[in-house]
Amino acid sequence: MPVFARRCLVFIALFSPFAYMLAQVVALQMGDYEILGPEPGKAIVWFTGEWAFNILLLTLAIGPARQWLSWKWPLAHRRMLGLFVMFYATLHLLSYMAFLLAWQWQDIGSELVERPYLTLGFLAWLLLIPLSITSTKGWQRRLKRKWKSMHKLIYLIAILCAVHYLLQIRSNWFDPSLYAFITLVLLGQRFSLAKFKGFFVRST
Amino acid sequence: MLIKPAADIKSSEITSHSAYLNRRKFMQQSGVALAAMGLASTAGALESHSGRSPKFGPDWLKHQVAGALDTPFGKDEKLTPYRDVTSYNNFYEFGTGKDEPARNAGALITDPWSITIEGECEKQGTFNLEDILKSMPLEERIYRLRCVEAWSMVIPWIGFPLAELIKRFKPLSTAKYVEFTTLEAPKQMIGQRSRFSTIDWPYVEALRIDEAMNPLTLMAVGLYGEILPKQNGAPIRLVVPWKYGFKSIKSIVKIRFTETPPINTWQAIAPKEYGFYANVNPEVSHPRWSQAKERRLPSGLFSVNRIPTQMFNGYGEQVAHLYKGMDLRKSF
Repeated sequence: MPVFARRCLVFIALFSPFAYMLAQVVALQMGDYEILGPEPGKAIVWFTGEWAFNILLLTLAIGPARQWLSWKWPLAHRRMLGLFVMFYATLHLLSYMAFLLAWQWQDIGSELVERPYLTLGFLAWLLLIPLSITSTKGWQRRLKRKWKSMHKLIYLIAILCAVHYLLQIRSNWFDPSLYAFITLVLLGQRFSLAKFKGFFVRST
Repeated sequence: MLIKPAADIKSSEITSHSAYLNRRKFMQQSGVALAAMGLASTAGALESHSGRSPKFGPDWLKHQVAGALDTPFGKDEKLTPYRDVTSYNNFYEFGTGKDEPARNAGALITDPWSITIEGECEKQGTFNLEDILKSMPLEERIYRLRCVEAWSMVIPWIGFPLAELIKRFKPLSTAKYVEFTTLEAPKQMIGQRSRFSTIDWPYVEALRIDEAMNPLTLMAVGLYGEILPKQNGAPIRLVVPWKYGFKSIKSIVKIRFTETPPINTWQAIAPKEYGFYANVNPEVSHPRWSQAKERRLPSGLFSVNRIPTQMFNGYGEQVAHLYKGMDLRKSF
């Protein structure tokens, strides 16, 4: 399949959760009151947060997929995946501020400072900004080797997201633990490999 | 944007629950008129003039719920629609999602039901719920319910004061606390079969005896003129309106009088987050969220119904004296 066609398919796939959510919101506003329950804002905050994390994990899986499955084709889509992470993370943050805190800036400020899980989540979103800006080919050229090390920030972002989720456990610990576990596996693959390589290089 | 914020709630939904009150009002008035004509003496008339006719649940309870007396509690409050009250629940015995109890609670067997009375009291034993309720006059009270998760509802409960029940078992002077236990039945309760729960079943809650005897403390067996739906804690649950919702324990099978303070389920899991009292208090934050405000449900998407939380959920006049001299930041 030509790369362009594949790009279109990947775009549609990543856009479809948003389209689904939008359809639900429109249905809600048209009067289908039950579609998102009595707290529709909370449902949307969760939905966008989960998709931001899902796509972030997919992005992180591209490297290991090449190592373990010898899949090279996903590499061409890494930028789009990363930008979709930013897209859903931004919706997540905006819907939290709009639907749960009703744009009450004082509350938004104090919550972001006083609640560690919110501070970490917000920090993760902030770190996504420079990565999104420098995602273009132009910036890639300009930053040269620095670009690669800069974009390793995504590992830190993933850890922040995993902790952001873990800190919200009340009774059911399955989902947050699963996300944290997958994050660790995907990151662990990188670090163990890097260490192994480093050791190998030094010892010869 | 073309989206109209006004359409957040279907107009038919608004009428359906206000219709509940209007119908009740009309029936009461006509009931008074019937009584004046000497026509309201039969049981059938009682049922129709209260305006309630429960659609499900055991027959022996239907008649009693239909005949519940009206009270002035919460008459001016705007009710949360029946659909939300019965589809958005925290009842982890049936799953941790808010919609799960409504889907999973069907497996719960609520009739026959018995309650075991233990501990520091004269009349211990196991009693059939039907026998307990037989001579217990029921009443309707509209209470605000404030969840620790910062959302709230307004619910018309049907029940009786817990004090009336406690008196029957003649607690001793050593009975300083009352502990309640929810049914433990993994075969009926899917959430109790989960391996991914931090809760050590069965669920336990407790009150100080003076809190339990306070006239506001209710034992509910119905809501909205219906017998209590299973997802709301059928057949009998506690309602303590000035405390966070998790204190209002559901599907109670055991009541125990103790001299030492019992450890509540949430207190055992996270003692820094949940204390023994769990009084609604806008000034003491839960470590993970502020308690200063609440979302009164139903809350629209573009018209968020976010209101300030009141001390003791607005019931301070009736209960503040119970905590005189206590530091509520420490005894949270």
